[in-house]
Amino acid sequence: MDDQACPRCKTTKYRNPSLKLMVNVCGHALCESCVDLLFLKGSGSCPDCNVPLRRSNFRVQLFEDSMVEKEIDIRKRVLKDFNKKEEDFATLREYNDYLEEIETIIFNLANNIDVVGTNKRIEQYKKDNKEIIMKNKAKIGREELELEEILEIEKQMEELRRAEVIKMEEEAKKQKIREKEALIDELMFADGDAKGILSTFAQTVANKQEEAVPVLPKVTQFSSGVKFTRGSGQQPLPFIEEGPLYKYEAPPQPDRVGPDPPSVQAIVNNGYLRHVRAETETEKAGGYSSTLPCLRALQDALSGLYHAS
Amino acid sequence: MFSTSSQRKFWTFSDESEIARHREKHNLEYISKHGQHIDEYQRYNFFLSPEEERLLLKQYELHLKEFCKRFMPPMPKGVVGTAFHYFKRFYLYNSSMDYHPKEILATCVYLACKVEEFNVSIGQFVANIKGDREKASDIILNNELLLMQQLNYHLTIHNPFRPVEGFLIDIKTRCTLANPERLRSGIDEFLEKVFLTEACLLYAPSQIALAAVLHAASKEQENLDSYVTDMLFRDAGQDKLAILIEAVRKIRSMVKMVESPARERVRIIEKKLDRCRNQENNPDSEIYKRRMREALDEDDLPHTGSSRMSLDTSGISQVLSPSAS
Repeated sequence: MDDQACPRCKTTKYRNPSLKLMVNVCGHALCESCVDLLFLKGSGSCPDCNVPLRRSNFRVQLFEDSMVEKEIDIRKRVLKDFNKKEEDFATLREYNDYLEEIETIIFNLANNIDVVGTNKRIEQYKKDNKEIIMKNKAKIGREELELEEILEIEKQMEELRRAEVIKMEEEAKKQKIREKEALIDELMFADGDAKGILSTFAQTVANKQEEAVPVLPKVTQFSSGVKFTRGSGQQPLPFIEEGPLYKYEAPPQPDRVGPDPPSVQAIVNNGYLRHVRAETETEKAGGYSSTLPCLRALQDALSGLYHAS
Repeated sequence: MFSTSSQRKFWTFSDESEIARHREKHNLEYISKHGQHIDEYQRYNFFLSPEEERLLLKQYELHLKEFCKRFMPPMPKGVVGTAFHYFKRFYLYNSSMDYHPKEILATCVYLACKVEEFNVSIGQFVANIKGDREKASDIILNNELLLMQQLNYHLTIHNPFRPVEGFLIDIKTRCTLANPERLRSGIDEFLEKVFLTEACLLYAPSQIALAAVLHAASKEQENLDSYVTDMLFRDAGQDKLAILIEAVRKIRSMVKMVESPARERVRIIEKKLDRCRNQENNPDSEIYKRRMREALDEDDLPHTGSSRMSLDTSGISQVLSPSAS
């Protein structure tokens, strides 16, 4: 830490404990006062590499190595466009290739390897994937919004609980004071034995404490902190209007263009089956019965007899 | 059920002249399409006339019957009936000069086997054909889709065989006729001949079946008239009975008129056909072979040097079959 120093004014952490080093996109550090001085107008160039910089882009240096800072910066910028998710790829292999490509781009930019070509690659990618980028951006935005909402709710709940606890504590304190006063009053004005009074009071206090089991605040959330009902998003299931119940109607019998064949009942009763091969036990098991072919033959024989050209 | 079938709706005609009109139309169409370079007078010597076509097809119907009879494994009657239906239907809307009946015949039987659930593989099937079997299987598979298309995919056929069984069951149950089983030989003989007539394009299968039963009964010197009038048509009006009686009479007279065409004439017609048939649909012709080769090359398929296609590529060749012309 000691050798942390501003490259411009050479102030070190040792001499100025409140020294804050700031970095910009180029990765070169400056102390806070130098930034104030150099970027008075809002923009200027880096004293190290002459890259034009904007004051608003300065951040506090989190890592000792300014290269890491620079890389983080670049990564942030690149990932804004390369925001595909695993779901956007058909196979894991493709996704991994894509991640590899991102890393290559970041490495190139961070180490000044083929900067022009890499930037061109990014532009190309942006052009090719405009729609997906926009879509994913919106998605990420939505997800963040939801997350924030949850955090907000949690914060509120926390506050509510704290207020509740404080209120209860106060209540308890007041109660105690009241009881003490009552005891003193009793001791002052009652005629009975002081010891007896003390013991009866101790009894009542104990009873009261048992009674006053702290009233739990109303449960409004799961143990995980998610509310039972979320204000937005989840609506009750829409009620589906159902028509009248389906009623089976036998399909209309087509015109047979012939005499009516005997019914199944008539076939069984009138001895038609005597002239048809009886079904075997095995066939019966399969659901076959000799009435079926008999009925079919009779139907076929009678259907179309009235046919006239 | 026949009354609601495509057979009744599209393939049962009102009378013989309607059928003849269809055939004549397609005969003339073929002649006008392929006979432009021949003068009026020569045309009739070169092409087949509708009558000649009729005679030729009658001869091939006999061939069809023989082929089915000798088919191994023996095929059920339903397949034969269905094949006859397909054959007749196909040549209602096509000329025999366009598609040779020899080829369509085999295709009809093959398709009928499939539709009637008589399971034979193409290899088993062509084992029944004399000559180059591989070529035969190519022809059959090539024509199968064409045939189905020409049948308008109306593949369900109502044959008179089941109605015959129905009548026999009914007669056994409701009539006092002694031993109705003896009618069978007469019925079978009648139905075999029925398919050589136009009856199946004109009448309901049950009417044909009843005609067969009545014919067989009269041959056995039995009379089933009372069964028809008092039982079958008890509730129907006189007009319906009259229609049926007329139909049965017509069917029986048609069957009586069946005669095989003179061999000499058929031989002449076949020779004539060899010259005037559509060479684009002739698997032996140069033009057909060349087109198949082109079709194969177009699809970038490895072809074995010969123009004959192996079975594996038949799927492609079916699509590019003569029907494309």
